[in-house]
Amino acid sequence: MSLDLPNLAPQIQSAGAKIALEMAALGERLPQAVGALRASSGIDSETLQAKLARAGDRWPGAIPTTDDLAKSIAPPALQTPLHVFGADGSQIPPDRHAAAMYYLINIGSLHYIAGSGRAPSASSTPSLYSGNEELYLEDGGLIGSEIVSARRDIAEMAELARLANSCHGEPSLALLDNGLILWLALQVQGQQRKSADALLKEYLHGMDSIRRSGAALAGVIDRPRHANVLALLHLLDLPLDKIDTDRLQATPYLGLTDRGLFAQVLAEGHRSISFIYASPINRDFKAAGHEVAFFYYRPPGVKDPMRVEVPTWVADSPELMARVHSGLVEQGLTTAGFPYVLARAHELAVVSQAERQTVAGLFEESLLAHGLHPERSHKQTAKAWLTSRRRHSL
Amino acid sequence: MTDKQGLIGRVTRCSTRGFVGAIRLPEPEIPVFGGYCLAEAQQGGSQVIGLIYDISIQDDEFARQMAATETAPAEVLADGQANRQVPVEFSALAVGYRVGEAFHQHLPPQPPLTLAPIYRMTPEDVRAFTTSFDFLPLVLSTPQLPADHLLAAALQTASEARPAAERRPFLIDAGRACARLMAGDLPQLQNLLRSLTS
Repeated sequence: MSLDLPNLAPQIQSAGAKIALEMAALGERLPQAVGALRASSGIDSETLQAKLARAGDRWPGAIPTTDDLAKSIAPPALQTPLHVFGADGSQIPPDRHAAAMYYLINIGSLHYIAGSGRAPSASSTPSLYSGNEELYLEDGGLIGSEIVSARRDIAEMAELARLANSCHGEPSLALLDNGLILWLALQVQGQQRKSADALLKEYLHGMDSIRRSGAALAGVIDRPRHANVLALLHLLDLPLDKIDTDRLQATPYLGLTDRGLFAQVLAEGHRSISFIYASPINRDFKAAGHEVAFFYYRPPGVKDPMRVEVPTWVADSPELMARVHSGLVEQGLTTAGFPYVLARAHELAVVSQAERQTVAGLFEESLLAHGLHPERSHKQTAKAWLTSRRRHSL
Repeated sequence: MTDKQGLIGRVTRCSTRGFVGAIRLPEPEIPVFGGYCLAEAQQGGSQVIGLIYDISIQDDEFARQMAATETAPAEVLADGQANRQVPVEFSALAVGYRVGEAFHQHLPPQPPLTLAPIYRMTPEDVRAFTTSFDFLPLVLSTPQLPADHLLAAALQTASEARPAAERRPFLIDAGRACARLMAGDLPQLQNLLRSLTS
């Protein structure tokens, strides 16, 4: 063990004390934010639109879909049978120190029929990518972890689409363990831009397919750090003629989160109203018919709400929203509020460290069997030597 | 011969004295206490014969959480029993080995290797193996084993592999063989004989 714990321990103590002080300061500002949320209910549409226009295209806030911002909405009764699908993914990224270049994406999913009493169908599907066209971009560069992550997100959406289409027309709910926005589109520039656009198109195709199947779609973000609604509250506080970039950034709610705000407002099992996500990337989603909205949902018996992202074709449909809300309540009964299908999908998807080593070993064996002599990099070899210390025993 | 359909697991750890296997199986297929099994060894040149003496199913935090939930939906409970990848682990005592068609009732020359397939022994093979009781000392000499219960279960299994008319004579012969070996431990012998005749 090389970590100097005696040296680190005082630093951890100091960091803990600092965090406690910051939390106390945030706690003092939270009532102000709750007051602003309640006070802003009933804001007239004309004022709101004028302020949103002044905030500009790059303002990272939230646009309310109704004027009662502090409303706490009770869950409707669950209509059964309800098909609930969950998908999650895990990946082994390309490693230039390994004996061969490849990456792997493993998708886990669960098809659960609430009210059936039957065991769900579980699936775990690994896909290996090792061809040059899969590993290298048009400029010859090795694909980065952000592209691999995007391919995983696409595979998750495709798996949900596959499951949704297997129950076409039946009441269904597809859940993703993440937000619905594909962030890759904002992260990459230059030569990778073309690849990113192609990937975004593929991702949106999966959302199209789910929509056509009649299923509701929702992305669940546990312990979110977003502050889009707080940004809205700050915007509403500012006089119209004082709205500019500097003032928008000088928010009194810095450090607070929407999660903390709605923890004070929502009753157990309830959800907030829906908000449109005011992000530049959401424009691409809107153009494709999948503009992303979100709401906060507080599971029964849980203090912290989670953020749930839905396309506006779900947010605008009372029937689909009832399905999402009641489905989330049912799914969280045994898993501290987090959807059961997502907890299981994660379990089915995750690739452990031991499995990563097994895959690497099998790959080396395969290369040997085909007359090649795979070698790890010098660095990888040295690291393996340094981490394989064994205890002496008689 | 081994019943290729009767795969009940793969070896996870082993020695010449026995092996441990694991598999994910639906409930009716789980190996039974006192059952006979075969694990391939020596690159398929021999098969180690095991007597299953322990079957265990491990838990994890998720299973404990579900067990403690009073209102778990039926779908969740069914998922835990039918799908979750919690392997059944079973331990088998090596009581002999097989080379070709010949059975030997002493410790094998080599243990099976990791991930070697383990098969349930067919009734024909169980009958052939238990025509002799020379494997009994291997069971009785193993410490910390419920030898009386294990032998009773194993001999009952061997009896059921025979035609009805042969079962009682087989159990009487087996009881006599056990009596010779267990004369120094009358309470355990009594327990075994009671189990054989019940």
